[in-house]
Amino acid sequence: MRPGIILLLMKNDHMNVLENNVMMEIKGLSKEFSRNGEKLQALLEIDLDVVEGEFLCLVGPSGCGKTTFLRIVQGLIEKSAGSIELYGQPITQPSADRGFVFQQDNLYPWRTVIANARLGLELAGMETDQANARASEMLNLVGLEGFEHSYPRELSGGMRQRVNLARALTIDPKVLLMDEPFAALDAITREAMQTELLRIWREAGKTVMFVTHQIDEAVYLANRVVVMAPRPGRIEKIVTITETTERSETVKRSPEFHQAVDEIRDIIESHEREDIMA
Amino acid sequence: MSNAGETTSDEIEDGKSGFFGRTESAKSRKRRRLITSLIVIFVSWELFGQFGIENRLFFAPLSDIAVSGYENWVNGELQKHISASFQELLYGMLLATVFGIAFGILIAINQSVREHCDPIVSALYATPTVAIAPILITAFGLGIASKVAVVFLIAVFPIIINTTVGIRQTQESFIETAYSFNATRWQVIAKVLVPSSIPFVIAGIRLGVGRGIVGVVVGELFGADMGLGIFIFEAGQTFDAAPQFLGILILCFAGMALTGLLQWTEKKIAPWHHFALDEE
Repeated sequence: MRPGIILLLMKNDHMNVLENNVMMEIKGLSKEFSRNGEKLQALLEIDLDVVEGEFLCLVGPSGCGKTTFLRIVQGLIEKSAGSIELYGQPITQPSADRGFVFQQDNLYPWRTVIANARLGLELAGMETDQANARASEMLNLVGLEGFEHSYPRELSGGMRQRVNLARALTIDPKVLLMDEPFAALDAITREAMQTELLRIWREAGKTVMFVTHQIDEAVYLANRVVVMAPRPGRIEKIVTITETTERSETVKRSPEFHQAVDEIRDIIESHEREDIMA
Repeated sequence: MSNAGETTSDEIEDGKSGFFGRTESAKSRKRRRLITSLIVIFVSWELFGQFGIENRLFFAPLSDIAVSGYENWVNGELQKHISASFQELLYGMLLATVFGIAFGILIAINQSVREHCDPIVSALYATPTVAIAPILITAFGLGIASKVAVVFLIAVFPIIINTTVGIRQTQESFIETAYSFNATRWQVIAKVLVPSSIPFVIAGIRLGVGRGIVGVVVGELFGADMGLGIFIFEAGQTFDAAPQFLGILILCFAGMALTGLLQWTEKKIAPWHHFALDEE
């Protein structure tokens, strides 16, 4: 069979979601920043259900609040209104059920690869031997066997992002939150890392929420693409991407792939036109 | 590009030709260059002393200094003075390091302490605190206690300031990473701020040691019953140049040895740290 993907465009996807297992429920989430007395509506009334095991991508132009949204879900910043529940429990602060992968790898230069990877477990008070065992398991998963005792500065950008990912995975979170993790990588490394991430996602069986501003990246990775619009940051559309075969890089050459990318680009660009007219 | 005595670092990294055709590591190259410099200095010193300056009140050739060193070692004087000065420096530096690091951390992490103390620490750092030595000697006597106090007072400020700077230069995103794993404030201090500041703290201790050696000598000059400062002062009273230079040379080598020890310590406890322009 020819590799391909089918695109389903929906204004809201409650129908689709109902059949599945919702793990995270976000209702009426808003965030207001005030800078020098001026109010800025970063997010307005976000409603989103996240399904267990799915790969969810958030795309949108800069300023649409996608990173802010992810940070609120992690509990790194406070929301102004609304609710987020993970398996019925409201989210207020970071916890082991969510692992955050930062855009910069943020590896501690004074720690070896394995000591970086076990950071989350160490902070949770796990004994070093036990934490190391779990960390090296995750380093194997991300393909860094044999680099346990290297220092970050000895690694390439792609390898550092693998450690970043392993560090988030060691705490065995229910959902991985990834904030443009490949944005700083060169194009070739980025493509390789996308395919690696899909493999790791399948093997680890985690739910992923992935923020990116690259539409092709989102279409390649996601089960569903949440398209966001700026001023105020909100969800414009949710696009479901159904694959007919297991995804591989050849998908990127299929007409369906480009069609999906174009559809999403149209949604984003229609907004930018409105913005310019306004 | 290579001629007899000179080798470029590129070639050394490639493991090709080295000094006189042998392969040479960066470490042995550094040692060779240091020894070359020292030989040039010592030979010119001796020649200058023998043939350049007639007046032995101002200058002594190296051979005279060596004789003075031998005599003072045999009669046990030198060991006594070195031991006293060394103890003053050691205890003073230990106190300055422990207090300096603790107070530096406190200034860095507590806004109230910082706003109360930081400007005063900066002012005191720039103050020539050795000037307080006579008062400290009046207060603590001629024994080592007064000199320990001088060393502490002069060495503590660069340690405080460097610790504070070291902690405050920690990347904000490193702290956020720890918080994303739900770290407590104490964990952030212990696992992020302190390790990230180590190279700065060690640089502060190095500055402190340099100032501390000055503190020992100046403190002893103002009043002491023993120590290298007194040894130099007494030789000066009798217009004897050789022992004066002997004392100075010992202090100089003590400074070099302590700096080397600190560099070694840094390599041990912060092997990850990499200075710009350092070779791999």
